[in-house]
Amino acid sequence: MSSVEFKNVSKDFSGNVVLSNYNFKINDGEFVSFLGPSGCGKTTSLRMIAGLENNSTGEIFIDNELISSPEKKLFIAPEKRKLGMVFQSYAIWPHMNVFDNVAFPLKMAKVSSEETNKRVNEILEMVELKDFNLRMPNTLSGGQQQRVALARGLAAKPKVLLLDEPLSNLDAKLREKMRKDIRTIQQYFKITCVYVTHDQVEAFSMSDRIMIMNKGTILQFATPDEMRANPADAFVKDFIS
Amino acid sequence: MKKALTAIFLLGLFLLCIYPLWYLAQSLLFNEGTFSFDLFQAAFNHSLTYISIRNSLVICSLTVLLSVIIAVPLAWVLTRSNVKGKGFWRTIFSLPYAIPPYIGAIAWVNLANPNSGMLRPFFSGINVYSSFGLVFVLSAFFYTYILINLLSALEKIDPSLEEAARISGATPLQVFCKITMPLVTPSLVTGMLLTFLSAIASFGVPALIGTPAGLSLMTTQIFTLQKMASVNGLRLSGALSVILLLISSSVFIFDYIVTKKFRFSLVGGKSARSSFVELGKMTWPVNLLLGFLSLIFFFLPIVAIFISSMAKLQGDRRVENLGLQNFKTILFDTEETYRALSNSLFLAFTTAVVCCIIAYFLAQMSKKSSLFVNRLKEAFIAVPYAVPGTVLSLSLTLVVLAYRLPLYNTLGIIFIAYIAKFLNFSYRSINDGLLQVDDSLIDAARVAGANSFQRMIKIWLPMLKPFLMASLFLVFMPAFSELTMTVLLTGPGNETIGTLIFQLQEYGDASGGGAAVLSFLTLILIIIMNATLKVLTKGKYGL
Repeated sequence: MSSVEFKNVSKDFSGNVVLSNYNFKINDGEFVSFLGPSGCGKTTSLRMIAGLENNSTGEIFIDNELISSPEKKLFIAPEKRKLGMVFQSYAIWPHMNVFDNVAFPLKMAKVSSEETNKRVNEILEMVELKDFNLRMPNTLSGGQQQRVALARGLAAKPKVLLLDEPLSNLDAKLREKMRKDIRTIQQYFKITCVYVTHDQVEAFSMSDRIMIMNKGTILQFATPDEMRANPADAFVKDFIS
Repeated sequence: MKKALTAIFLLGLFLLCIYPLWYLAQSLLFNEGTFSFDLFQAAFNHSLTYISIRNSLVICSLTVLLSVIIAVPLAWVLTRSNVKGKGFWRTIFSLPYAIPPYIGAIAWVNLANPNSGMLRPFFSGINVYSSFGLVFVLSAFFYTYILINLLSALEKIDPSLEEAARISGATPLQVFCKITMPLVTPSLVTGMLLTFLSAIASFGVPALIGTPAGLSLMTTQIFTLQKMASVNGLRLSGALSVILLLISSSVFIFDYIVTKKFRFSLVGGKSARSSFVELGKMTWPVNLLLGFLSLIFFFLPIVAIFISSMAKLQGDRRVENLGLQNFKTILFDTEETYRALSNSLFLAFTTAVVCCIIAYFLAQMSKKSSLFVNRLKEAFIAVPYAVPGTVLSLSLTLVVLAYRLPLYNTLGIIFIAYIAKFLNFSYRSINDGLLQVDDSLIDAARVAGANSFQRMIKIWLPMLKPFLMASLFLVFMPAFSELTMTVLLTGPGNETIGTLIFQLQEYGDASGGGAAVLSFLTLILIIIMNATLKVLTKGKYGL
């Protein structure tokens, strides 16, 4: 149901251009990766979708609805955008147990408690954390915290799930399994996903389309096959090989 | 050899930090060899001492309450909103931490005394000599314990914890209530307990504001009983000290339990906070409020001290009344000033240097000693810091008298009290420093061909320098203006700046403005030293 669109979006931070003139559309149900070296603008783009950062010019749409336009003095606060997000540090609240962490978005959306119970249990089962309801975060392994973060991101049926380098703190073996699991869950819910990574293997193995960026510009936005066949320039060719 | 040295150090610490307190407690608990609570019974039955205990508990609890009301919103605005000039506001609102509260009390007496208070023409009902006045002046200084604790806790929280809540649909207010506050609660509790402890241990403010208002607190009651020096009075003041000691230690134990149980690991991934809550329409009201609060807690008291120090006649508001007459009188025509100044400088300087040396050896021990020895050592150092100064000086006096040490009524006993009280500051900064100088850095210099002297001069000293500086400054500043302990230990000829200011304000002619002059100069010295420390340590220490 949900698309994400940038029209002429730029961002500068005290004179430095962080993003220049981004134009793209992510389709409903698509899994898109933002790929590039650090400082390329991928995380900033993601945070602008979330509303954690403002764009300086241009318009951002979610679901064809305008959510940010400095020219029109319009900015929808992050809590009103109905999104889910998984952070690099997981950002599991240490003072709440697993259930309360996952149920938080549902409570904020004023979902009834029976419905909340049902939904949290369902989603915890899906991320293989059945019976973890009452565990406190500091008793969980990194991989388990990661799954709680994913469950929380999905709990309130968000329009778009945003993932900010979610696997970078996991060991290699776990990372491979999580890649598959995230993709499976995404296809099960048919949810639009925007995935930030600097790891090209990750991007190529998971995405429907990849947007490759460098120094605040989009170099290419294409399917993995297209990108392999026709890299837009030398940088892309070099980065993906 | 190493073991013997460790044992000697521990024994020394024990004699300095623990034994006097133990001596005080046992001398009151054991009456001719038998254990009894009779004396405490007497303290509770005696109306004056009972009232002072009740007053202390009530006044200090109210102080904590008012401090929370001041500090929590301030901490939020200074870390989470997009208000301009955060660094400036932070310094202004943290500075009262370094200013001796009795100077603040003098400022508020000048501002709001019922006869000639500078604020009387604007607010006719204002009177600092009241329970509210006492709570207010205590809060105006001790809220900084809560503020400083909260600021550092709020800064340590991984920003994504709060961002995750926003994405999950929580408004900024909901984020504050459901995420931020629960996470900083342990730090808030610690701040509140420190505020309570400082308030209950404080002497200057209760003496200058509480006593004229007819409110005696435990510290001022102990002081009065000591000065009267009747046998029964001395025993009662001893009992009161032990009760004060018990109250403060239980507060500390409570804090230890709370922090141990509920402290969350707050360290996060990205340290840069990229998003602040936009104040929007609230920008002006918030700035106005910050301005107003800084006026009350910082600028107004300083201006009041300044005007009083210049006023030839206190309470006369005409411009012609201002001049440098008081400065001349107190600095050049008063014999005590010179004595007090040289005593204070000498005491503060030697205490700072000696603390620094002791702390260095104690911190060095950490690397080689067992966990148990380290725990014991740190506990010994922390005890005199935590114990109210009044109790500490009383127990030192008892030991000195009991063993007939030739220290009674000398600068020596004041010096020992300062070492015990302020060693904690030195130890913590030097320990921080030694943790930074990894052994591999020294080894690398050795491999590069530096001999032990070169290693010390080229590697070790430059790396440790900011921490040594911090250690010296952090002891010098409070020692220079100390009052609570000194007032009980001082004798004729042993004035310090603190006791001289106190005497001038209490008994001297207040119209002379002498207390204000010395307070003003002390304030300037402390503000300059704080700024110097901040520059020297590149912002790591200093407010």
